Amino acid sequence: MEGRPLDEQELVERAREGDARAYEALVRRYQDLAFRTAFVIAGGSADAEDAAQEGFVKAWYALPRFRAGSPFRPWLLAIVANEARNRRRSGRRQDDLALRVAEDRPSGDAAPSPEAAALAAEQRRLLLAAVGRLGESDRQVIACRYFLELSEAEMAAALGCRRGTVKSRLSRALHRLRTVLAEQGATAAPDARLQGGER
Amino acid sequence: MSRRELQDLDQALADLAASLEFPPTPDLAAAVAARLDQAPARRPAAPARRRGRLAGLAGLIGRSGWRRLAVAGLAAVLLAAVVLVASPGTREAVARRLGLRGVGVELGGPPPPTVTTRPGERLDLGLGERVTLEEARRRVGFPVLVPGADGFRQPAAVFVNQAVPAGGRVDLVYRARPGLPASPFTDVGLLVTEFQGRPTPEFLKKVTTYGMVEEVTVGGEPGYWFSGEPHFFTYRDAAGNLRDEQTRLAGNTLVWQRGELTLRIEGELSRQEALGIAESMR
Repeated sequence: MEGRPLDEQELVERAREGDARAYEALVRRYQDLAFRTAFVIAGGSADAEDAAQEGFVKAWYALPRFRAGSPFRPWLLAIVANEARNRRRSGRRQDDLALRVAEDRPSGDAAPSPEAAALAAEQRRLLLAAVGRLGESDRQVIACRYFLELSEAEMAAALGCRRGTVKSRLSRALHRLRTVLAEQGATAAPDARLQGGER
Repeated sequence: MSRRELQDLDQALADLAASLEFPPTPDLAAAVAARLDQAPARRPAAPARRRGRLAGLAGLIGRSGWRRLAVAGLAAVLLAAVVLVASPGTREAVARRLGLRGVGVELGGPPPPTVTTRPGERLDLGLGERVTLEEARRRVGFPVLVPGADGFRQPAAVFVNQAVPAGGRVDLVYRARPGLPASPFTDVGLLVTEFQGRPTPEFLKKVTTYGMVEEVTVGGEPGYWFSGEPHFFTYRDAAGNLRDEQTRLAGNTLVWQRGELTLRIEGELSRQEALGIAESMR
């Protein structure tokens, strides 16, 4: 591919016509997204790798049926997520959402004191633990929205549900997360109230 | 939960996301490129004019009704290729063993050749005529079975084709819905095909280099589960010729036998789900 980088639509169109190099560029562009989505759904990184690779291969063969001009990401995510679900359903063990909170990445604009940074990291760990204690469907919808930052259409594709139900699923999941946090707060830290949202 | 609490939670999750570490992404681009190198060449996208007709079962169902589906698609039923993970030796051994009434499985070898279709030819190989289930039962000489599993007792559409293969064939089509995703190959949720299998294979599944064929039993009778990489499914016409022009790629497929009947279901299902539906057919 010469000169300027091709935009997504051009890459998709070339890949649709059988250009394997264009497809490789698409895979490179979306491999993080595909792998992480598969990870959120399948639960383990070996299954996620397997699902994402299989999904990309399937998508290549299905590309001639892809409607030109329609968004590529939801289409790809639907295929990858389905591979991930099949792996999960086939009874392989799943290590919750085995994500880690980075230690040294302060998120505020001002550099926090070491104490404040430690407190913020602890609060993030508590929040992540609470997400991990949710049911599979709640955990997935929250991970898709916040951790993968998917659009509504992409969430619907990844979760295999109708676009109209994404919002209500997310809202229910957030309410249950709130409940879990309240329970956690009662037994764990005296002040586990979540920081943030100040104006 | 108050609006304020919701905002706090929303903000806290966004903040958490910023410091979250996913496991490192493997080099999928290289792995996928290597697999595509060895896999059968893909057919190019159909030219725009023809795509109108072939653009996918679901689109056709939505936009122009079922009649066009009948025209569009035996692609949906007939031809398929899988990729088998096995040494050449194993592959040969498996090839000798595989086969059901009316269905042969060929492992390895080149993908089916591209054949130019004469105008109108595709019509002969369509899913057939859309009829009611009762009508389909009157037209074919075998008992038509329907899944008894929840959500599958009422197909969205039934097609009958009395010409191909000899003895006729019935297809049940189910729309995609939550929990039953559209197959990227057929655009519908589930496709069930039934015909009276003869000792001579009339359908041929071509399995190339990757993917899986597993032997399964359904109600005590033999079957195969094709999964992993898409496979080609090829049809032999009344004259005994393989109809390569109808080759299409197929997703996960279960083929099995019940007495003289040969049944096939295709969809984005897990093996267990496919077997559950198969076992429930009455």
